[in-house]
Amino acid sequence: MTTEKVVVTAPNGLHARPVGEIVRIAKSFPDSAVTITSGEKTVKATSMLSILSLGLKKGTEVEIRAEGGDEAGAVNAIVNLIQSVTE
Amino acid sequence: MIIKSVASTSGYGSGKAFRLCRGNSAGEHVMSIDEAFEAERERLKALSVDNDIFAAHLEILDDPMLSDAIEEHLAGGENPLEAVASACDDIVSMFSSIDDEYLRARVDDVKDVCRNLESRLAGNSSGSLDIPEGSVVVADEIFPSDTSRMDLSKVSAFVTRKGSVTSHVCIIATSRGIPVALGVDIDMIADGDNLIVNGNTGEVAVNPTEDELSKLAESRIVKDRESEIIQEPVEYQGHIVNVYGNAGCVEDVAKAMAAGADGIGLFRTEFVFMRSEEFPTEEEQFEIYRDAALLCGDKPLTIRTMDIGGDKKMPYLSIEPEDNPFLGVRGVRLCLANPGLFKIQLRAILRAGSFGNVRILVPMVTTSAEIDRVRALIEECKAELSAEGKEFGSSIPLGAMVETPASVFAGRTIAEKVEFFSIGTNDLTQYIMAADRGNSGVSILYNPKDIAVKNAVEVVVSNAHEAGIKAGICGEAASDPEYAEFLLEAGIDSLSLSDPRMIPVIKRLIRK
Repeated sequence: MTTEKVVVTAPNGLHARPVGEIVRIAKSFPDSAVTITSGEKTVKATSMLSILSLGLKKGTEVEIRAEGGDEAGAVNAIVNLIQSVTE
Repeated sequence: MIIKSVASTSGYGSGKAFRLCRGNSAGEHVMSIDEAFEAERERLKALSVDNDIFAAHLEILDDPMLSDAIEEHLAGGENPLEAVASACDDIVSMFSSIDDEYLRARVDDVKDVCRNLESRLAGNSSGSLDIPEGSVVVADEIFPSDTSRMDLSKVSAFVTRKGSVTSHVCIIATSRGIPVALGVDIDMIADGDNLIVNGNTGEVAVNPTEDELSKLAESRIVKDRESEIIQEPVEYQGHIVNVYGNAGCVEDVAKAMAAGADGIGLFRTEFVFMRSEEFPTEEEQFEIYRDAALLCGDKPLTIRTMDIGGDKKMPYLSIEPEDNPFLGVRGVRLCLANPGLFKIQLRAILRAGSFGNVRILVPMVTTSAEIDRVRALIEECKAELSAEGKEFGSSIPLGAMVETPASVFAGRTIAEKVEFFSIGTNDLTQYIMAADRGNSGVSILYNPKDIAVKNAVEVVVSNAHEAGIKAGICGEAASDPEYAEFLLEAGIDSLSLSDPRMIPVIKRLIRK
């Protein structure tokens, strides 16, 4: 299992478009089960609706966790994406 | 037993209860949950090729959140139908509590996806619903896609738990004279129960006793006496106030005219666009508008140009998803953004103009520049028609719908560019009060009788009169006798009513 914590820096938080990207990345690692945890809630990274329901605002710390397959690659890709969102 | 509804639309209907989806088929589903998902996935895949809405539905169907929620409820001992319904409720209530525009806008999509799954599970294909003649349709909530699958001539009333009087189903039902009782505890009603719905009092009688029947019959006779038809126009304090009918199809025009309407104050053209997958041709549209014009004779037929966007989406118009559809590209904005399609409609209306007294009404006007652009397109169409040697009405009046705050405050400027005003109280109330008309959480604010809306109406009427044009009203509020009195005081020139049976009632009220 690979985990990594990352803080949302996007000024408007994570909304539909970047979350759509996260889902696309998570789905491109079909061998890993990828989850996102914010506070007490953990959701599948393949569920756009679930991630949006976390209501991730600027400054929120989330934990990306992946298990199986290329788990390090999956976590890395998603962390990079979250850090690169500027809109 | 008599159940009281929270709200209702007028009319009287009786028949056997027909419970939609959840009730009558629970437990005897033909498809498994996986099969239902697969069937919906196939259907949506085919539809989503060039349609963003169905593509969004497909994403929701495939989102693990939905399947996980359903699984959880199945594990909790619910049958598949109940599990889908519960999962839908969970997701909808969660989304509504989160401050994210995108999620809130997805609520209706989630409902639609779940409802289609439910209907698969209940053994209904997405084809037409087989409703026995004279049914009272009982459901938790009724969606536009439900009504489009029903033969409405077989429905004598609707009874629902949720919904508001300005919802789509109420507008469609009212235009066909079908009463709707809303906010009813439908758990008290079983499939096949004998129901009598009195929309005028809001009462729903379930398997009524002899005693209850005779009481209901009495109140109905009084109602009938009140609805004696008056053909001629009526006067209020010395000036004629026309009472028009609203129509959503040619049949509605016939009904309104039969009820003594002085013409049609609002002929919605959405049905022309919603009934097919393709944009209707000029010929198809022309035939519909001509038939409606012929039914009106020398009385005005006010055709509202396509009022699409916001809550009504068309398969052939790819509308970019908007964060706030009600503040987005809708009404005349969409028409002007698609001048090619808009001109097809304008040409059809102009040609129908040579068969009667046709008027053009432009929805959702915000600035006088929009009117200039519409006029320029009309002139282009006229020039084309002349060149082609086709007949058309040469002096068709152009009117503006007043339903945005901007059109209230810029009223004088807009009034100088048009021949008449028509106030759309449904949207005007929503925009003035900043309250979504479909959101029951703000239904107290969504009130056309609020002083803010009334003041706006008075401003609009005086703007119109100062510019020497007439101002009418075509929202639901016009049918409310108390509101009608306020409108008459304000100097309104015409009232256009959705329910043809209210036409004689309001005419009688004006004459008093």
